Amino acid sequence: MNTPNTQHIASAFDRDLEAVQALIMKMGGLVEAAVLDSTRALESRDDELARQVVAADKVIDELELQVNEETARLIALRGPIAGDLRTALTVLKIAGSLERMGDYAKNIAKRSTVLAQSPSIGGTAGTARRMAKLVEQMLKDALDAYIRRDVALAHDVRNRDGDVDQIYNSQFRVLLTHMLEDPRSITNAMHLHFIAKNLERMGDHATSIAEQVIYLVTGSLPEEARPKGDSTSYVSSVTE
Amino acid sequence: MNDMRPVERIVDANTAKMTARGVQVHYGDTHALKDVDVDILDKTVTAFIGPSGCGKSTFLRCLNRMNDTVAIARVGGRIELDGENIYDKRVDPVQLRARVGMVFQKPNPFPKSIYDNVAYGPRIHGLASTKAELDEIVEKSLRKAALWNEAKDRLQQPGTGMSGGQQQRLCIARAIATGPEVLLMDEPCSALDPIATAQVEELIDELRSQFSVVIVTHSMQQAARVSQRTAFFHLGNLVEYGETGQIFTNPTDPRTESYITGRIG
Repeated sequence: MNTPNTQHIASAFDRDLEAVQALIMKMGGLVEAAVLDSTRALESRDDELARQVVAADKVIDELELQVNEETARLIALRGPIAGDLRTALTVLKIAGSLERMGDYAKNIAKRSTVLAQSPSIGGTAGTARRMAKLVEQMLKDALDAYIRRDVALAHDVRNRDGDVDQIYNSQFRVLLTHMLEDPRSITNAMHLHFIAKNLERMGDHATSIAEQVIYLVTGSLPEEARPKGDSTSYVSSVTE
Repeated sequence: MNDMRPVERIVDANTAKMTARGVQVHYGDTHALKDVDVDILDKTVTAFIGPSGCGKSTFLRCLNRMNDTVAIARVGGRIELDGENIYDKRVDPVQLRARVGMVFQKPNPFPKSIYDNVAYGPRIHGLASTKAELDEIVEKSLRKAALWNEAKDRLQQPGTGMSGGQQQRLCIARAIATGPEVLLMDEPCSALDPIATAQVEELIDELRSQFSVVIVTHSMQQAARVSQRTAFFHLGNLVEYGETGQIFTNPTDPRTESYITGRIG
């Protein structure tokens, strides 16, 4: 079992571990903001906010590099084993997930600047914003679970991914319907579909972070299947 | 972006405490150390690593003229402490060794009480004029060596009665009692168990705030853990000298990489 509350005799080891985890938290905070801001920019057609999200992604990318560097250093200099080794490994994976989530947020922000020029499609922007809220809460809880080494909360996050998938499915159908009814909406609907897909992928990454927490604490990844709701891979045609 | 980096890593601001230029050592016909240039930074832990017979201990012993005691050793080149040549005729090696202290591989406390072990250096160097002053130096040194709590109730008992790890920390207390500016350590943990080793390493990390520490070690992991600078010696040559993180993640010389990854010895 991991014992995060006991200290090493080498206090510098603790400082190194804390420093790299602090970087993860800093990254997490920026990604949470990016997830919410990207869809807020979409819904309120706020070009300036979208530009900020795009710019902030650079910082997230740099933080990931820094996490990788610091972790490589930690492994080389401290030779971590057992719980310390799992901490080093999970830090790398979590940083990778956060970086991908940042990229998806940036992509949403870019698409939102295009969409801001054209009429909206029903309540789809609002739905994207609701999805983003769910994803952001998942990410927040996954990171809290990480800091507190809270397996129960991590399992909870993992189970919530199905909700995000459900919304994605309905968005998929709604957008398909719009495109069938009015081919002029195809461009916008495609953008909105990618936005929904990005959010769905973000949910997967938040889930992956939660799974890393479970691995960190228990030493093994959860075996039981988690609820999956994305059924769009099987859609062949839409019947009204 | 770098606000979260451990501050302790930034040692480049530190000035050189000792500089060695073109140091050569011969033991009789053996050329043990070839043209070594090193700057030992102030308030920094510097580790010397390398296979047996590479010259790392020889070089360490040059830094406080311990090689003077070896009849067949000849030392060439220049070594400075605060810009002063330590091989100058006017330098008294005994005074030098008070400024550049040393801790050896095996704990070697004097067969005296714990108190007298620590008080020995200050007494012969006349660092205390009253008993109270001496008491203070002994307590301070034992505290710095993280031994005070274990030793304070048995100061008059023999130092040789302590455990190995305690004896080594007693030797460190003895070495720092004279207020050295540089502390040389030759394999200080090789006779200790992992917990005592970790305690001595933590102590080295704390001592760094007060003076320079130079440590010779066979354990590369120990060099990685305790030092900010690492020098790799091979066959009497200084192969590579640099920031410890860089040496252990991306060494520039292929010989360094081979040695630290266990490919040559």
